[in-house]
Amino acid sequence: MDMTTVLWLFAVAFGASALGGMLGMASGIFIVPILILAFGIDIHVAIAASIVSVIACSCGSASPFLKGRLTNVKLAIVLETATTLGALTGVLLIGIIPTPFLYALFSLILVLSAQQMMARRRQLIRNTPPDPASWATRLRLHASFPDRALGTDIPYQVDRVPLGMFLMYGAGVISALLGIGSGVLKIPAMDTALRLPIKVSSATSNFMIGVTAAASGGAYLVRGDIDMGIAGPVALGSVVGALAGARLLMRMPAEKLRILFSVVLIALAIQMMLSALDIQIWGS
Amino acid sequence: MNSSTNLPDRHDGLIAALLWYGTLLASAVIGAGILLAAADALDPALEMSAIGYGLIKIGVVIFILLPVSRVMLMMILFLQARDYVYMAIAALVLAIIGAGVLIGL
Repeated sequence: MDMTTVLWLFAVAFGASALGGMLGMASGIFIVPILILAFGIDIHVAIAASIVSVIACSCGSASPFLKGRLTNVKLAIVLETATTLGALTGVLLIGIIPTPFLYALFSLILVLSAQQMMARRRQLIRNTPPDPASWATRLRLHASFPDRALGTDIPYQVDRVPLGMFLMYGAGVISALLGIGSGVLKIPAMDTALRLPIKVSSATSNFMIGVTAAASGGAYLVRGDIDMGIAGPVALGSVVGALAGARLLMRMPAEKLRILFSVVLIALAIQMMLSALDIQIWGS
Repeated sequence: MNSSTNLPDRHDGLIAALLWYGTLLASAVIGAGILLAAADALDPALEMSAIGYGLIKIGVVIFILLPVSRVMLMMILFLQARDYVYMAIAALVLAIIGAGVLIGL
């Protein structure tokens, strides 16, 4: 194990994760392209290493959300049946899917993330009484969360659970295939399909990512796909960086940071797409 | 509606503590492993590389097991609350993760 590389891996994971943490986003989407483009690591090794850091960040940042009663743990475990099943599908697919397709898919997800970063998250709250026959009612998923500004608990309903589960399955597949938390798919699913309040949606999504990634991470571990010399420093750097980033969250001008991040995401998307095409050209 | 739909707060607190202290443990073990490997790089006579690498591996395994143990803890908490539907859902999630490990073998 080359020590200089290990320290660089730690430093880069720390930086990416701290910057991501400032915008409340997971760093996996940056980690994989950086490992491939800057360190010349094989895409499959990068994905398996990144999955460990996704788990680490989810576990490391869960506590304040749980204590603030923002995480809907019942909804999380229900949706985790879909995300873990998706992760399993991803584990089965990753051996079959041609590498250029993985690059192209990653490129697409980077573009979607950039677009999502610039868009405002909309909140759709229904005031009609819950449908007694819906899945959410039968599973007792409707809950409330404390609003600090108002000083009271705000009740909310959970909508369209089957649609949410379908989208979560897709998020699980993408998570396992690309080594990311796939917030890019989870956030629209939770905001738009389930119609959760934004704070509850973010907290619950972050809580679920760890279990989703553990489903693929466990499979990659026993398969021997995880390079410890890469996964170890990247996971440590990511978790320390995420904690540092969350502390800095309030002090940065978020709007400029958003634009900067979108530009970086698009640049990485172009580079990943070029890699996808390069390999096809050399392959043929 | 609130008290019946959510687990009591102390349960959320237990889950939070498991994830937080688990993260600290895994991070400390990986950090110690990197330091030992670094010590070996500076002075190979110490022969710390294998131990360092072993510690990093243990830390990574702790991280992967942490969400799994969180689902196990939730299963136990649901069982205690006699919420058998949710106990079964948690068991299903564990079974799916287990199936993934079997696929990997």
